Amino acid sequence: MTNKTLTMSAAGVDAEVMPVRGRVVKSKWTRDLLTFLMVFGPGLIVMVADNDAGAVSTYSQAGAQYGTHLLWIVLLLLPVCYFIQEMVVRLGIATGKGHAAMIYQRFGKWWGLFSLVDLQVVNFLTLVTEFAAINLALSKMGVDPRYGVPLAAAGLIMLVLTGSYRRWERIVVFLCLLDFAWFWIAFRLGPPIGQVVKHALVPSMPAGGITPDLMFLVIAIVGTTIAPWQLFFQQSCIADKRLRFADLKWARLDTFLGACVTVTAAVCMMIAGAASLTHGFHFTDPAQMAADIGTFGGPAMRHLILLMMINAAVLGTTAISLSSAWAYGEVRGWPHSLQLPWRQARGFYSLYLICVGAAAGIVLIPRAPLQLIILGVQVLAGVILPSAIIFLQLLLNDKELLGEYANKPWNNWVNWTIIAVLFILSLILAAQVAAPNLFPSAAGGPTT
Amino acid sequence: MKTTKDRFVVVHPLDDVFEAKVDTEGLGPMAMTRSVRFSLLSLRAYLILMVLLVVYHVVMLAR
Repeated sequence: MTNKTLTMSAAGVDAEVMPVRGRVVKSKWTRDLLTFLMVFGPGLIVMVADNDAGAVSTYSQAGAQYGTHLLWIVLLLLPVCYFIQEMVVRLGIATGKGHAAMIYQRFGKWWGLFSLVDLQVVNFLTLVTEFAAINLALSKMGVDPRYGVPLAAAGLIMLVLTGSYRRWERIVVFLCLLDFAWFWIAFRLGPPIGQVVKHALVPSMPAGGITPDLMFLVIAIVGTTIAPWQLFFQQSCIADKRLRFADLKWARLDTFLGACVTVTAAVCMMIAGAASLTHGFHFTDPAQMAADIGTFGGPAMRHLILLMMINAAVLGTTAISLSSAWAYGEVRGWPHSLQLPWRQARGFYSLYLICVGAAAGIVLIPRAPLQLIILGVQVLAGVILPSAIIFLQLLLNDKELLGEYANKPWNNWVNWTIIAVLFILSLILAAQVAAPNLFPSAAGGPTT
Repeated sequence: MKTTKDRFVVVHPLDDVFEAKVDTEGLGPMAMTRSVRFSLLSLRAYLILMVLLVVYHVVMLAR
């Protein structure tokens, strides 16, 4: 790189010289595997945490209302997820700083504040939906949410207070790997394989054509698969883990594998929803869907789906709260690293604690329309996403900043296409809200 | 990741020495043309409008 360089830690960790501890291996193959395992984490976590409670709800609702018809949209989002997050990987490794810090430094305070406020608002609403899902799932499992929700919040706070990035990452990667249970759930529900493959590979529309409800759900699917917090989370995570230039190819592989896992799990969630539709159930929320599936899949299946719903919410909560705390810490110049103990990063940990505590408190308010909040937040995230990606795109074209790591022309073609599609979806949403009769509803068709 | 003749030393990023990164402090704000600035302002207006529409739609669905 031709840029001026600086040796420093952006997170407020003392950059003292410490003895390098490494493992000696004899073969190149072992070296590569071990290096990958050491770098592995941020990509998988950001992708699997993206399949949060809202995603479980949105994907299962899509399956429960339209069967497997929308599988191709999820599959189409695999490269989109990867391309967007790969840019974040490059930016994080090259600068060693978080996304919020970069927007502040390169676009100035006004735009930095605009991005930060958008992020904090959508993140907090999303956190409410995570705890709403925990609330729903615990109720269906016969656990009193008045005890279960605060207990989950306490666990989530303890998770980050260990003063060790590695400990946090190992626990979260373990929770991510539990997502493989969705594969077993889909397999046990015995979907018609031919139909699944056909609907995944050949774009098709459900009977009834394009309706406002279908468009709303498609935007919610896009909004849940690629969310603004992911950009901030992965870049901060990479900065906190102090990934090096030499780690770039492994970080890319980590991100790609994460994208594959998350999209395949999303397909499985849609298959679960489709199974409940096949058995004639009407979708209200994913916890009720689990209960419905339990009537023909057995109580073990019901409990497993509810547990996976809680796991998704826990993963989403820790990642989203951290993205908020990291972003705020970067902008305020506070120490902001999971490597730091509480007493050295009080502001950073306090913000995490406030996000988790307040969201958990809100869902304990009785009779909140939880399913509507979940879907609404996904759509809001979908609307805000294009602007977040535009800032990312401008940063990645900043040759003064990134030098050889800046976007190549083909990157820009792909990314501007993604941004254009996202804007078109946003405009369709605007049109259907402003003029509801633009897309006629199918008589007797499904409703959102 | 350090290499010698017949063996390789693999170091976890957190156990390695701090790596030299791009000096972002010295770069200052990005130079933006008037059209880029106008586009970003339009984006801001568009976002506010879209958020209001989503809120309206969700409230209508709730009724």
